[in-house]
Amino acid sequence: MSKFMQLDAKAPATLGAVVEAVTRLSTLSEAKILEIVSAGKIAELFPYTPPGRAVPADTMADEELLEASALPLQREQREALIHSSLPAARKRRASSKR
Amino acid sequence: MASSRGFVRKAPSKADKTWLVDIRTTDMTANDALWWDSRLGPKHAQIRNRADRYWPWSVLLPMCHLVQLAKRRYCRPLVTWARADNGRFLRAGMSILIENYPYLDVGKPAQSYFVWFMSAAAPSVLQSDFGMSHPPALARLLLDNAIVLSQNSGLEGRMGLHAAVAGGAALMNLYGHCGLLHLPGSAALPPSVRRPNDGRFFFADESVAEVLAGALDASR
Repeated sequence: MSKFMQLDAKAPATLGAVVEAVTRLSTLSEAKILEIVSAGKIAELFPYTPPGRAVPADTMADEELLEASALPLQREQREALIHSSLPAARKRRASSKR
Repeated sequence: MASSRGFVRKAPSKADKTWLVDIRTTDMTANDALWWDSRLGPKHAQIRNRADRYWPWSVLLPMCHLVQLAKRRYCRPLVTWARADNGRFLRAGMSILIENYPYLDVGKPAQSYFVWFMSAAAPSVLQSDFGMSHPPALARLLLDNAIVLSQNSGLEGRMGLHAAVAGGAALMNLYGHCGLLHLPGSAALPPSVRRPNDGRFFFADESVAEVLAGALDASR
């Protein structure tokens, strides 16, 4: 499996690697994946390396924190949450369309 | 339950149970995962008895979303922050929950929340490197997040987890001490869990969940 550096759907090799990795992982139980991760071997199945970025500040003020809702999320909230799991690439793409 | 519960906002200090630490809960982003991997990961990697010493959150976060989406389920990754001595909040806990996971008690076919990954920062590191004199005890709180979300989602507090093998007997004892029910090793698992029961599964049924959540209501 080729190593993918970013989840860029426009790169066929990257997409192929993602499909292969996710497909393989989705056949495993959550407990098995936990075991693989705990053994430090997840890179063998999901060779994702996030792009280098500046590390955020250690602390935040109370008013800077956006507290999570304890209620079920709406579809838009779920989508935003999933997008936020990826480093800046998605945001840059969105802002470039302005 | 008529009204919804919120997340816990205070937790006892790990060393002094009479000392309450302010807590906040946020949704986890890539920045949170990066911070944890960069600032705490190298420290945790040196603590040999930690089950999470090799967990790369920056990889886990997108991976968990993708894998569960492939299974037509959603993840709910959360960050738990605790107030440090300077009055500001510091990341002290991380968890990735799965929504609508098969309930582990096959006697009652239903859905539940599943705590897939859960990690609390090492108290000694918070004290020595991050100016937090009173690191909070987070295990009960992180489990409570799953119970509250389950209750608020109409799943009546049902939740489950698998104690990482790397955590050994200590992790099993921790979950038992937190009040979770131990699923006997002889019990069948829901077919969609697709794994033999190794005796390391824990869960909360509706009544246990209500007792555990109710015990923390004063801290919400």
